[in-house]
Parts: sequence; C-alpha cells; structure tokens
Amino acid sequence: MSEQKRTPEYDGRDFADAAWSVPAYLLSGILVWGGFGWLLSRWTGVSAFIPIGVILGVGLAVYLVYLKHGR
Amino acid sequence: MNTPTLLLAALPTQAEDPEGFHAPGPEIFDLPPLWEGAPTWLTKPTLLAALSAVILIALFWGAFANPKLVPRGLQNLGEIGYMFVREQIGRPFLGKDTDRFMPLLVSIFFLVLVWNLMGVFPVIQFPVASHIAFPIVLAAAVYLLRIYLGIKHQGPIGYFKNMMFPPGVPKPVYILLAPIEFLSNLVLAPATHALRLFANMFAGHMLLAFFSMVGFYFIFQNFSVLGFPVGVLGTLVTIAMTALEMFIQFLQAYLFAMLAAMYIGGSLHAEH
Repeated sequence: MSEQKRTPEYDGRDFADAAWSVPAYLLSGILVWGGFGWLLSRWTGVSAFIPIGVILGVGLAVYLVYLKHGR
Repeated sequence: MNTPTLLLAALPTQAEDPEGFHAPGPEIFDLPPLWEGAPTWLTKPTLLAALSAVILIALFWGAFANPKLVPRGLQNLGEIGYMFVREQIGRPFLGKDTDRFMPLLVSIFFLVLVWNLMGVFPVIQFPVASHIAFPIVLAAAVYLLRIYLGIKHQGPIGYFKNMMFPPGVPKPVYILLAPIEFLSNLVLAPATHALRLFANMFAGHMLLAFFSMVGFYFIFQNFSVLGFPVGVLGTLVTIAMTALEMFIQFLQAYLFAMLAAMYIGGSLHAEH
C-alpha cells in the first residue's frame, strides 16, 4: 500500500475522498448525537441536551475527519 | 351554495384568471401516460430513458463494432469519450483496477449524460433524472455493488470494521464514532448520490420553464408595448440559462460517475 500511496492517482483519491466525506461526516455527527440529545431531552425534560449533543456531534465529526484524512 | 363560497368564487384569484401570468410549478413534472389508455407507467420520462439507452447502444455500436487501428469518424468520438472516462473518472479512484470497471463507468457516465441532455434537446426538453426514481435506481445499483465488492475484498467483518472503526483510537471512543461512520457511509452517501443528480435536474428544468414562460407570455400570449422588453429579457435569460444548464448537465453526469468510482475504489481497498 505504501508504494501505491505515493503515485499521483492515489493522492487525488485521498484528496477527493476527504473533500466529499467532510460534509457527510459533519451532518452525520449532528444527526446522530444531536438526535441522541433530543431523545435525552424528551426523556428528562432538560432541553440543554440538544445543543450539547449537536456540539459533541460536530466535534466528533471533525475528530473523525482528522483520524481518516489528517494523519 | 353558502355565502363564503360565493364570495370566494367572485374574487379573481391568480390561479383562476386565464389571462394572468402563471409561473410554472412542480406540476410540469406530472406527466400523463403517452396516449389515452396507455399503461400508467408509460410516460414521457420512461420513454426518454428507453430512448437514451437505444441512442447509446447505437452510438457505441457504431463506434466500436468494427474498430480500425487508425480510427475514423464515430470511432474517434467514441475513443475520446472512453479515454475521458478512463483518465478523469476511473484512474484517480481505481488506479490499476480501472480497466475492470470501465464498462460500468462508461455506461453510467454516458447514460446519465444523455438523460440530462434530454433536458435541453429541442422539442424533447425533459431531463429524465428530474424524476427521482431514475437516479435512485442507478445509485442503489452502485450501492449494492459497493457493499458486495467490500465484503468480497475485505471480508464480511473486515469491511464493516475498516469502515466504522478507524485504527488508533481508545476502545470506548468507538461507541461515539461508529454511529457517525455508519450513518455517513451507509445512509447519507447513497442518499445524496441520488439526490444531488435529481435536485440539480429538477431545479434546472424549473428555471428554464419559468424563463421561457416569461418570454412566451409577454411576447405572444399577452403582447403589450410595456411587456415586450420583459419578454425579450426572459428569452435572452432562457438562452443563457440553457448554456448554463448544459454545463451543469455535463458536470452532474461527471460527478455521478466519479462518486460511483470513488465508492467502488473505497470497497476494493481499505481506507488507510
């Protein structure tokens, strides 16, 4: 794999992969953990869980993009 | 009839005034069967989809049925198209596996391109992909192929493990990350793959319909000295928008095939 990585083709693939996956990750992060926060707030009645979930989701999504494409 | 109904009937609403200008709405996509008594599925989009397939088969048959070492005419054109898909869509994402998937990529790219170009082709003027069923079928086919190839090349557990559990993270963090990976890779990716093509074609057709309606209405249907410049402007904008549409139609076909190649490439090799 390390041989392939250096060819321009695979550089292009990495770049396009990252460019296309960032919005999907951000949206997924917000939906999953924002949604979880919404469920928690419905259950407990504490509405603060929604923004906490959304922010957690965005943070995790950024971390995930770093894990997959930033290292 | 009671009083409120009578009052409403007396009011000239925009929708009921036959002389007024009607902006075309989503109903322009609601097409009846081709003729009285035809099966309900036999509408303009399905006919155009079939016609597109016939056109493509004829073109590529003409180009490659009897290939010459020194290409002439249609073969030249076919080779340019094939080379474009191979170098610009296949190679960057599939590398040495490109040739194996060229039949699929060429078919996807040119089918979507012809579907889209139907939207500006004189007289026909209907983009097939503006009915969401068509992009859904293509995107679903790519999605199934992608999962099949992923399981075949990385193993049933390995594929989902590589996708949802990036290495180098403390184990408890996976509880937080895996659902995000799952949603973005297995739900949002195929959905946006189909939606992007559909929405672009839908919106483009609406815009063209609106501006050509402005031109038609103010020049022919309801001619007036004051309205004439508006009609001319509408016609000019229609021409400009048609050029822009052709660019977008090409771009969307390119993107659709490119994303297909990207998804397939991701299934062949684990992400690193």
